[in-house]
Amino acid sequence: MALEYLGDTLRLMVLAGLGIAGVLAILIWLRNKTRKVTYLRFVVGAVSVAAIFYMFTFTQIWMLLVVAVILLMTIPLGRFFCGWLCPFGFYMDLISQLRKATRVRYRLLPVKFNGALNRLRYAILVFFLVLPFALGPIADFQYQFIYFLAGPFKPWSILLGPLEPLIVPWTSSVTLSGIYFSWPYLTPVSFYSGTDYTGIAELVTANIIIFVAITVVASFFIRRFWCRFCPTGSSLAIKFRGKSSAVLHLSKDEEKCTKCGICKRVCPQQVQEIYDQKGGKITTSMCILCLRCVEMCPYEDTLKVKLGGKAVFRSRNWLQPSQSE
Amino acid sequence: MKEPKNTQERKYVAELPQKELEDLRNSAKAVSDRVITENIERMKKTSANRPEAMKYFDDFATFALRETELKDAKAKGRKVIGYFCMFAPIELIIAADAIPVRVNSGWYDTSKIGDRIVPVEVCPVIRSTIGAKMIGLSPFLELSDALISVLTCDGMTKLSEVMSDYMPVIAMPLPRVKDSPHSLEFWREEITSVKKQIEELTGNKITTKKLRTAIELVQKATKAFRRLQDLRKGAPVIMGRDAMLVNQVFLWDDVARWTEKTEALCDELEQHVKEKKWVCPPDTPRVMVTGTPMFWPDNWKLPSLVEEASPRGVIVADELCSGERLLYDPVGVDEWTSDDMYRAMSERYLMASTCPCFTSKDGNEDRINWLLNKVKEWNVQGVIYYVVRGCMLYAMEYTRVKRVLDKLNIPTYYLDTEYTREDVGQMKTRVEAFLEMLSARVDI
Repeated sequence: MALEYLGDTLRLMVLAGLGIAGVLAILIWLRNKTRKVTYLRFVVGAVSVAAIFYMFTFTQIWMLLVVAVILLMTIPLGRFFCGWLCPFGFYMDLISQLRKATRVRYRLLPVKFNGALNRLRYAILVFFLVLPFALGPIADFQYQFIYFLAGPFKPWSILLGPLEPLIVPWTSSVTLSGIYFSWPYLTPVSFYSGTDYTGIAELVTANIIIFVAITVVASFFIRRFWCRFCPTGSSLAIKFRGKSSAVLHLSKDEEKCTKCGICKRVCPQQVQEIYDQKGGKITTSMCILCLRCVEMCPYEDTLKVKLGGKAVFRSRNWLQPSQSE
Repeated sequence: MKEPKNTQERKYVAELPQKELEDLRNSAKAVSDRVITENIERMKKTSANRPEAMKYFDDFATFALRETELKDAKAKGRKVIGYFCMFAPIELIIAADAIPVRVNSGWYDTSKIGDRIVPVEVCPVIRSTIGAKMIGLSPFLELSDALISVLTCDGMTKLSEVMSDYMPVIAMPLPRVKDSPHSLEFWREEITSVKKQIEELTGNKITTKKLRTAIELVQKATKAFRRLQDLRKGAPVIMGRDAMLVNQVFLWDDVARWTEKTEALCDELEQHVKEKKWVCPPDTPRVMVTGTPMFWPDNWKLPSLVEEASPRGVIVADELCSGERLLYDPVGVDEWTSDDMYRAMSERYLMASTCPCFTSKDGNEDRINWLLNKVKEWNVQGVIYYVVRGCMLYAMEYTRVKRVLDKLNIPTYYLDTEYTREDVGQMKTRVEAFLEMLSARVDI
């Protein structure tokens, strides 16, 4: 048993090592300053998908641990997880990359609608949290609580939804030549499709196909579509709403900013505050800290990423070919 | 696009008798040639360790070389499109295989000819441009097949009307409040419509690929341009006038060649920095000029006065739309789709601009911030606020600028003048008094 855990830990360490190697390779190889962080994110994302796939082969305790780590990480780092580690985010970025390759333009959601989605995600989260209590016998609180923690509607499994890798180690609804395929949230979707127990297999399959099609198509046209109302993201965002708690945040220099609007345009989440807010600490619950805005800002030191008051990454004149990096 | 009118249907400009026209043109041309040579001579004289690479810009400052090139290009069927304000998207012109030239006039004498059409109260830049067109002095105005006129200030709005007497004018209305989302949408549509008109005019289609090449070309120019401006942050390694001439040459030069030459100049300057070869003593008062744009060749009196005065000053930065505002902002394209390129272009030309024709609920905050940033980054010791009579927008914004700069304890001096050589003596006294005050502050 102890040896098994040791082996698992070693494997995870190998993965982390691969990730670091990839990051270094990108740093050395890529000269284009406006793409560096984006590609770094791809490397980190890919490694994290592999690591999370690996974690899914473990017991449920491990999964709970993953959720706990993600939620705890939010307190100092904000939605860093969403931008850099989340597998669903990674898939959506890959789909966006596919769109770029096919030269299709992205669509924007109307700003107001985007704001509404932003607020809606809290409703979605609350819905999943009260679901076990609503479904359980009204009188029996204890039963409801057990349902909440371990029953089929356990909210933490919803929170794990976006972590679902494409290929899963368990038996899943889609099987192709012996390999089980999945998609983020597919387990909850298939589960809830079948809950009335009159549900026939076709209905479940249809729901799965509809869900996958909608998310793929939507994130093809709209960058990071799911992130705008993701329940996991919102649970992270709740903690991040308290602005003082954020150790990792963006900061903007009012005088250096020419309000050219690049930051607002390149934001995959259509965060308006990065542009509208004149200066200072910019933390919003929408920001997934993908750092695209900092990367694309053409004015030196205008946008900074601050970690505990210290700037770790700052905007620079990306027209200048990199000499020292 | 307005149809070109033949001479009988002119709305504004009456036909000048051939004899008078030729007399006027010849005398203005003679003065212009003299002024150009004189200015360059004076620039060479004032600057110690003047970089070798300036030779190219001196040569091209004489118009004649570029005029021949443009004529050759036109003979090969390429179109020349003139533009008035820096809001005109030159990337589109380049992508349509046409040649962009900025055609604002800097000749003093022609402003008096312009007086025949518009009253003297009108901004002299406008009057001078009208006059230059009337007597055919500016080679670039003469060679332009069409004009893009961005309706920024009142003068520009009516200037485009006067100019439509001579050639097709593509007018681009500009929203005055830039931070509302409708403004950006409006401006983007305006740019798309200009694209169609340019395509019609040149007969070349602006494809995504061509536009991308054009944007990348101008980005390279921006890179060189910012490199040059950044070099002026330290001890003076290039005289302000020389740097301003480099900026001026961009207005009519071939972008690719200009970039190459500017990079060469920067390389040389970097070498000078290493060898500590300054153009003037490093304790010379550092001056910034802001206000009405200045155009080569005639309207060069203020920079000449500052850099030739005693005590001497050196212009380390300017906030002129004929100077550092020209190319400082790049077109930041996220994805190379045509949609994103047009968005990026409209943002670069509208949002990043600090023209005083804009306002918002905080006033023209962008310009103020930009000035503050310049003052701090370029270690400016004094600001000369240059306004020509009739330039309402700059004149009215002075009070606010002064109040803001006062807080930083940076002296600001309001210098109003005209397109004339008559007040040079008086201006000299004023500029020298200001510089004297600045150098006294340095001593303290």
